[in-house]
Amino acid sequence: MFAFSTTGAAPSPNPVTPRRDPRAPRELPDGLADRVRPTTPVAGRTLPVPAPLAPLFPGGSLRRGTTTIVSGQPGHGATTLALALLGAASAAGSWCAAVGLPDPGVVAAAGLGLDLRRVVFVPHPGAGWAEAAGDLLSGVDAVLVRPPGRARLTAARHLTARARDRQAALVVLLEGAGSWPEGGDLALAVGAVEWEGVGRGYGYLRGRRAEVRVSGRRAAGRMTECSLWLPADSGAVATAESLSDGAA
Amino acid sequence: MERLVVIWCPGLLEEGQRGEEARRFARVLARAGELCPWVHPIRLGVGALPARGPARFFGGEEAVVARLAAAIGALDEVDNLDDVDKVGEEAKIGIAEGLFAAMLAARSELIVPPGGTADFLAPWSVATLARPDLAVTLQRLGVTTLGQFAALPAASVSDRFGSDAAACHAVARGESGELAGLRDRAIARRLRVASGEDPDRPPGAPRPPSQPGFFGGASEADARAARSFVLVQERLGIEAVLIGRLRGGRDPAGQSVLVPWASPDPDSTPSPGGPATGAPWPGRLPPPAPTDVLQVPRRAELVDTEGNAMVVNGRGLLTAPIDRLSVDGGPWEKVAAWAGPWPVTERWWAVRRRRARLQVVTEEGVARLLCSERGRWWVEALYD
Repeated sequence: MFAFSTTGAAPSPNPVTPRRDPRAPRELPDGLADRVRPTTPVAGRTLPVPAPLAPLFPGGSLRRGTTTIVSGQPGHGATTLALALLGAASAAGSWCAAVGLPDPGVVAAAGLGLDLRRVVFVPHPGAGWAEAAGDLLSGVDAVLVRPPGRARLTAARHLTARARDRQAALVVLLEGAGSWPEGGDLALAVGAVEWEGVGRGYGYLRGRRAEVRVSGRRAAGRMTECSLWLPADSGAVATAESLSDGAA
Repeated sequence: MERLVVIWCPGLLEEGQRGEEARRFARVLARAGELCPWVHPIRLGVGALPARGPARFFGGEEAVVARLAAAIGALDEVDNLDDVDKVGEEAKIGIAEGLFAAMLAARSELIVPPGGTADFLAPWSVATLARPDLAVTLQRLGVTTLGQFAALPAASVSDRFGSDAAACHAVARGESGELAGLRDRAIARRLRVASGEDPDRPPGAPRPPSQPGFFGGASEADARAARSFVLVQERLGIEAVLIGRLRGGRDPAGQSVLVPWASPDPDSTPSPGGPATGAPWPGRLPPPAPTDVLQVPRRAELVDTEGNAMVVNGRGLLTAPIDRLSVDGGPWEKVAAWAGPWPVTERWWAVRRRRARLQVVTEEGVARLLCSERGRWWVEALYD
């Protein structure tokens, strides 16, 4: 066992003090590993995602350096899902960027958990959307990009490679005319949707229940399909059980 | 007890023959101090700072640990003008309540959850208290771990072993974090000498506490992000990179504003969480908010089953049930549900604008926010 007293110890016999002293990692006393959180893995390879989305991801988090494709029919909640993917990372201190969302709803973004102080929007990149996304991938932790049309293979490969090199997460939002020539590491597709809370002339929009399907190379999450509120009546995403039944 | 972040540099705990450890440790503390204020030295190779402020600022204790480790590990990139010091330092970082537990946590690179100090300390040996005599005696009595020591009645410990042992006992119980001998009283002066400053200057006088600014880019990640934003601005123009702010308002477009990145903030504090606080805004729609707030509203046609245009009458009601909708002259979409209309009379003291707002969901499941003004319908926002 060690003692804290270190000053006044005999000087090292080596005339050149080693710069680093890689002492062997200490073994934890029995039963301790369950009770404490290790600090190092958190810093490294992954970005957090909001808890309701965690079951969709292998390891429960968004892996840096990977490409996630979010698709859906226009108006079915793919934008909500894509923004929500960045929410927890942004709240945890990561810078995020959204390229090509022409009319970003700032209030909705805040409701989905994004910290507006660390999110930049590039709403109208025009033909330079891929270059802008590439620049941003080298500076921020997560980039959401919505290609305005069919993305060329070279542009797609350039962006996925840049994300891998810079260990940033790339989220591609495909709606309407947008398409992406590659599969991506993980693909989330928004299927059937249903709004709650609104009738024929009464109520108000409270939440949208959506079926989300997971596929792709790295689709090793615990679920391949799940039902989510995109968003729930709080403005955030939630698993579909959690909105009160009296919603309608 | 205060939650402390402890930075533990294994390579700098002992003064070597060349005596450069103190200077290198001073650089580590200075680098950490750029990130979080109130970093102070405990002893050579060990520094501490309160966890609460930085954890709030950076969004969690993990984030603080990650940033400190990255900053200290990347000293070489920052100080590359000084070729003597082209080496990042290895630092182990941990967080716990009280200095003693936090130092143990740092050596193992752990974050001990709040209130878990006694549990965390229990399995460690009594020798960690650095009281060899006490440890030997306790071990003869069969008390080998801090948990067993903590289980002894405080009064008996104090009676049998004296006040210093009583202090150790309080530490083992997780009631106190301070122990004589943990802190080196001369360390601050020693570091000032090592970094070439006047050792007799009153300690802690200058160094203004500075948190890194979001737009100033004092932290490394902020600086890196800022560089990429400048690249995009060079490509697409200053107005291309925007940052959102919330403000008070009634309609979706009024509740937020997009301003060019790096422009000074007029009302200082952007509220990070929900919509801007302050005055209530009667008539504001409850969440969720629309994800697409159209900068230029789109023309819409709204008709009943007979094809008559929908009108909001003088009493703020629709003249008939809505049947279908067309946006920008596009194909008709069957309407499944709608809510409203909610009349909005804004700025009645200036220009009289009578408007009504309507949420419309089509059979496809697409929800839009519509607005009627002077008999015309506009799509204001989309819930995508």
